[in-house]
Amino acid sequence: MTVVQLIFREIIKRKLNFTLSLLAVVITVSIFVSFFTTGQASKNETIRLMRDIGFNLRIIPEKTDMAEFWKTGFSEHTMPESHVYKLASFKGLSYAHLTAVLQRRIIWKDMDVILAGISPEVPSAGREKTPMFFSIKPGNVYIGFEVARRTGLKKGEETDILGSLFSIEKVLPESGSEDDIRIYAHLHDVQAIVGEENRINEIKALHCLCIMKGSIADSITMLREQLLRVLPDAKVLLIRAIATAREQQRYMSEKYFAFIIPFLVVVCMAWIGILALINVRERRREIGIMRAVGYGSGRVAALFLWKAVLIGLIAAAAGYGIGTGLALEFGPAIFRVTANMITPEIKIFYWCLIAAPVFCALSVFIPAMIAVTQDPAVALREK
Amino acid sequence: MIRLEKVSKIYRTRRGDVRALDKVSLDIKEGEFLAVRGPSGSGKTTLLFSIGGMLRPTEGNVIVSNRNLYAISKRQRAKFRATNIGFIFQMFHLVPYLNTVENVLLAARVGTKSFGPEDAKSLLNRLKLSDRMYHRPSELSAGERQRTAMARAMLKRPGIILADEPSGNLDPENAAEIFKHLVEYNQDGGTVILVSHREVVDNYASNVIYLKDGHIQEYE
Repeated sequence: MTVVQLIFREIIKRKLNFTLSLLAVVITVSIFVSFFTTGQASKNETIRLMRDIGFNLRIIPEKTDMAEFWKTGFSEHTMPESHVYKLASFKGLSYAHLTAVLQRRIIWKDMDVILAGISPEVPSAGREKTPMFFSIKPGNVYIGFEVARRTGLKKGEETDILGSLFSIEKVLPESGSEDDIRIYAHLHDVQAIVGEENRINEIKALHCLCIMKGSIADSITMLREQLLRVLPDAKVLLIRAIATAREQQRYMSEKYFAFIIPFLVVVCMAWIGILALINVRERRREIGIMRAVGYGSGRVAALFLWKAVLIGLIAAAAGYGIGTGLALEFGPAIFRVTANMITPEIKIFYWCLIAAPVFCALSVFIPAMIAVTQDPAVALREK
Repeated sequence: MIRLEKVSKIYRTRRGDVRALDKVSLDIKEGEFLAVRGPSGSGKTTLLFSIGGMLRPTEGNVIVSNRNLYAISKRQRAKFRATNIGFIFQMFHLVPYLNTVENVLLAARVGTKSFGPEDAKSLLNRLKLSDRMYHRPSELSAGERQRTAMARAMLKRPGIILADEPSGNLDPENAAEIFKHLVEYNQDGGTVILVSHREVVDNYASNVIYLKDGHIQEYE
């Protein structure tokens, strides 16, 4: 009888032990695969959701009086528009979105309004970005809810702002914030009508801090240092709560993944180890007779280790199938925004085929050694 | 062929030491049929396992075919056992998930000689198990199980058969059958050491020793 024949015969005889071991590994592999498969979608989902919260960085002229800034909501000072392109081309900085803004408070139609000029999204090298909030064509404006209510202006109408004619492309819904008294226009239009060509008073940036390791405080310090190196005449304001929430959100799934998988693996290994131990005890006489007919330690250990490898291989294949199936079935419902990014990860299949048998073999190593070292004479003397 | 030199075996238990064998010296010639008799706890099985390389004595030497069994490595001893020694036990110790042929072939690939299903079947025919070849142990009678165990022990024609109370669970008819096959094996040149507390074994053995409290009382 070969070792392989003995393994298969024993599995057929003791189906429960085998099935329970297999089940533990299948569950672990399935959870791992489904987590991994949905993991990328989860990351993208988080980015999208966090983008909707707002900017996490505001870069303003260095001379800005902060008391005045917080009172008015923007800086009275300006900086060159070229700053935003300088920032975009700086290789040491990664960002998700970048926009230049020029805001001024004006009296228009007997109303105190904020005129906000917004540049189109400034892409980083080689990457086209979808606009962070909106992109306004030159000659068009978006007007806030309160502005529209007070002036009676509607979408499609034309209006004069400081001597220039604009078409109202959109009336923004009520926001319950100062946005309700804003008029948004293209940056260059606002620069022209307020007479501040090529000047801006703020750069809004959404930065992906998730790629930085270390504490949040450390990564923010690093980011600030990088920015000030490029723009020494600017100051960087961090909307800490949003930035922190964003970074924590980005870390959360990774931390969860990093905890749950090792925990599951340890539980699974312990479970398989205990089942293998029961199996060894159950087979004491069988092992004894094998030793009596001349089986060496290696052959006896092989009976348990190869069986574990077989369990690992079957579980890897089954677990991959189930895990991928679960991810494809339930992932799109959980990650609606990035549902189409949930696809089978074939690379993980190969990893499972290697890792599952190795972990299974490690789990039964101690029981296998117990089987090898047990005294056959004791088992065979039992009447 | 087999020499025991002042072999002692002490089992250390929580309730104190148990001396199973006490300086036993013995010579067993090639082709001998030795019956080891004695009451329960006299050290018969311990003696048999020591000769079979399964139980290291506390002191003394066990020399089989000019090899000091406990001076060689565990691996070498296992290899030696696979080729030279066949075991038969009172409890049969068949592997429950293997059929009769597979049980006989359990040791077929271990050791220097390799044997196939045809060798096993031929042996099972001789032991009147031709219609039980694909049955599981649970489907066999006690006598059939013991003959299967006997076939397993004899498959590789080892020089020595060690039988530990092989008739202990059998009726007289089946016991006689087992003894008959052991005698045949002995007549073909094999050395047989049979442990039993039954007097009847004296009729089959060429030599009989009586063990009591780990000592040889008589040697015929």
